[in-house]
Amino acid sequence: SKREIKMRKLDSTKVRPHKTEQLLHIEDHDFALRPGFGGSPIPVGIDVQVESIDSISEVDMDFTMTLYLRHYWKDERLSFRSNKNKSMTFDGRLIKKIWVPDVFFVHSKRSFIHDTTVENVMLRVYPDGNVLFSLRITVSAMCFMDFSRFPLDTQNCSLELESYAYNEDDLMLYWKHGNKSLSTDEHISLSQFFIEEFSASSGLAFYSSTGWYNRLFINFALRRHIFFFVLQSYFPAMLMVMLSWVSFWIDRRAVPARVSLGITTVLTMSTIMTGVSASMPQVSYIKAVDVYLWISFLFVFLSVIEYAAVNYLTTIEERKQLKKRGKASGMYSIDAVQAMAFDGCFHDTDVDMDLPAFSDRCEENETRARAASVANLDTTRIKRKRSLKGNVGRIILQNNHVIDTYSRIIFPSVYIVFNFFYWGLYL
Amino acid sequence: MPYFAKLFLLIFCLVLLVESRKHRRRRWTNQLEVHRASHIYKKNHDITKNRKGKTEQLLRVDDHDFTMRPAFGGPAIPVGVDVQVESLDSISEVDMDFTMTLYLRHYWKDERLSFPSTNNKSMTFDGRLVKKIWVPDVFFVHSKRSFIHDTTTDNIMLRVFPDGHVLYSMRITVTAMCNMDFSRFPLDSQTCSLELESYAYTDEDLMLYWKNGNESLKTDEKISLSQFLIQKFHTTSRLAFYSSTGWYNRLYINFTLHRHIFFFLLQTYFPATLMVMLSWVSFWIDRRAVPARVSLGITTVLTMSTIITGVNASMPRVSYIKAVDIYLWVSFVFVFLSVLEYAAVNYLTTVQERKEGKHREKFPCTCGIAHSKTIMLDGNYSESDANSLAGYTINQMVPEEEKQEKMVVHLAVSNESNSSKKRGLKGHVGLRIIQNTHAIDKYSRLIFPGTYIFFNLIYWSVFS
Repeated sequence: SKREIKMRKLDSTKVRPHKTEQLLHIEDHDFALRPGFGGSPIPVGIDVQVESIDSISEVDMDFTMTLYLRHYWKDERLSFRSNKNKSMTFDGRLIKKIWVPDVFFVHSKRSFIHDTTVENVMLRVYPDGNVLFSLRITVSAMCFMDFSRFPLDTQNCSLELESYAYNEDDLMLYWKHGNKSLSTDEHISLSQFFIEEFSASSGLAFYSSTGWYNRLFINFALRRHIFFFVLQSYFPAMLMVMLSWVSFWIDRRAVPARVSLGITTVLTMSTIMTGVSASMPQVSYIKAVDVYLWISFLFVFLSVIEYAAVNYLTTIEERKQLKKRGKASGMYSIDAVQAMAFDGCFHDTDVDMDLPAFSDRCEENETRARAASVANLDTTRIKRKRSLKGNVGRIILQNNHVIDTYSRIIFPSVYIVFNFFYWGLYL
Repeated sequence: MPYFAKLFLLIFCLVLLVESRKHRRRRWTNQLEVHRASHIYKKNHDITKNRKGKTEQLLRVDDHDFTMRPAFGGPAIPVGVDVQVESLDSISEVDMDFTMTLYLRHYWKDERLSFPSTNNKSMTFDGRLVKKIWVPDVFFVHSKRSFIHDTTTDNIMLRVFPDGHVLYSMRITVTAMCNMDFSRFPLDSQTCSLELESYAYTDEDLMLYWKNGNESLKTDEKISLSQFLIQKFHTTSRLAFYSSTGWYNRLYINFTLHRHIFFFLLQTYFPATLMVMLSWVSFWIDRRAVPARVSLGITTVLTMSTIITGVNASMPRVSYIKAVDIYLWVSFVFVFLSVLEYAAVNYLTTVQERKEGKHREKFPCTCGIAHSKTIMLDGNYSESDANSLAGYTINQMVPEEEKQEKMVVHLAVSNESNSSKKRGLKGHVGLRIIQNTHAIDKYSRLIFPGTYIFFNLIYWSVFS
């Protein structure tokens, strides 16, 4: 029986009075006070492994990160006798009974310790009193972003750790292995960003009411992938501008065509611009994508104004032309193309000017035109010959207005130059 | 007699047996006690390691009843408040609230927490002590949601000084209501305030005050919002009356937000202005181009309508008109009027054409012939004929046979037709009106831009 009792005592986990608390003598000490209370500050080492960066939000200007946070310190009150020098591992239930550092994330908006299936907390106690305390946390923290080069921008964000209650005189927070304390899972990646580098730094923060605190920083830089925006914004804008140039190649007499082409490209540019602003915070400065879209809008707008000018000048010329023609008493007839351009109906022969131009009466007009032109063949030829005398007038009323001819070259070249400047400046 | 002796012997033996066992145990434990005694002696020097010297016993928490406030039954306890604003997370127009993260610190004196100390140093504790002592029950009036951050532990600090002064600090995020007035949106300024008050204790029990007057409110250097300029933070305090419960001290954190207009200029004002300018292009286009001018007018109306809908999506549905609404609706009216202007031009042109047609018929040479024919016949280009190109002369269509005959006839009579033309010119008042440019168009080219610029001058001077 004496032997039995002795054996039981050797296996300390199976003796009823020797609970963990008594194994670690928790009841003996007051763990509301930090180790070395009243003495020198206790050094607490920190180690972080970043599991993932969940999301970066431009509208809220924050980022969400999941990480394993490990603390290392020495608490002599937790030392216990051991011949093998092996550590004892506990889960979250012991934490409420002992002292742990109260590290928090400065500038965090929301954070939580994962608790499935139980609280993701580990406590490992070594015989000499060294403690390793590990947690798995998801934290959403503020990151001030500068969008003046959006979407060709790089953002620098940082996560800051600090003790809430204990200032520099009580607790010294430091990176356990210097810059190598920060490790990341290999497959951390974001869809929209390229994570350039993770680095660790430390500093001191001053609060006027409470003193100096140690603060640790986890810094990382994010470079945005531009491909999505090229596909979504730049490309459509560019295509709309090119589409507006099509208007310069269309006959200037085709008034409805050129006007509706111009106005529809303006409408589409306006829609693209509204679409981009929907997913962005409402900042007070101009972004790089705004510059591009607004200048493209300006080009499209100018093509509409250009056609208004062409049309107006054409009308003036026509008037002058026909006043001259009136004195020469030649004939004036409109050829098929001109008539078609004016009223939108298809004419395959030269028509007389008296045909009504309502488009819903196109067929009627057409038959009348044909009948009239058949009957008038001789007279047409006579007309034509006579009108050729007013040769000078014909030449001025070219199919191309000079503004159009220049525009065909100027608009594309200025746009290309703008593109060179833009991409050279921002890339 | 032997009976009693046996009994007595039995009892004596039993007692001896029990005594010996006790004695054994005592012997066994005595050794430990000897060791323990020396341990206890050593432990007593380090008060944190004494079983009896727990915090609660260090601070003698169990000796007092902390459900009662300090100086219970006596004068009101003064509690100083200090705030450091960490960030203004968001301002929401639709919900009419704002979210702020701040460090809230309380300072008071509780003599029950005083402890003897040689070096006058304070003791710092974390959140676990808070449940055992008395703390002021400050809450945020008009708050919608709030929480004390609790990662990795509750973000609470308690610092107790030897004389009983306490500093109690916590980190809170609170979403509170702010009544916003949008009548000058987006050229507006909003004034919001966060209000602190004790929930249970009235003016007679707890006096809440700003610890350092106006210096009690500090902000981190880099507080900034993307859409607003934060003008100033300042503190005030007042009394609030509740009819059921009495007078309470209330502290206010006031701040003024000035909205940045640049985003709205780019997003709303600029497109609206451009659409109005685009609608003026219609006045310069030939009035004979009906499809062109109509589609220009109607597409600008459509775009204005889209811009108006876009602005209202991110706004609360208020019952009064906002500054941006005034601008957009007046611009919409301008665009609408340009469509109506063209309808008027078109209608009046038709009317005039008809008049001209009747007018021409009175002259012999053109009798019975569509006046449009006279173009071909005599080569004189008249404005009315140009208009007839656009189809105003359906009624005057002449059958083909007639055409031929009459054309032949008139080839010979060209001089006469010239004279008829001259006669037509006598009625040249009518002809002047029927120019390629209608008078309405000519006036519109000046009136519309002039009026719009004038409206802009008035608008920006009133609201800026």
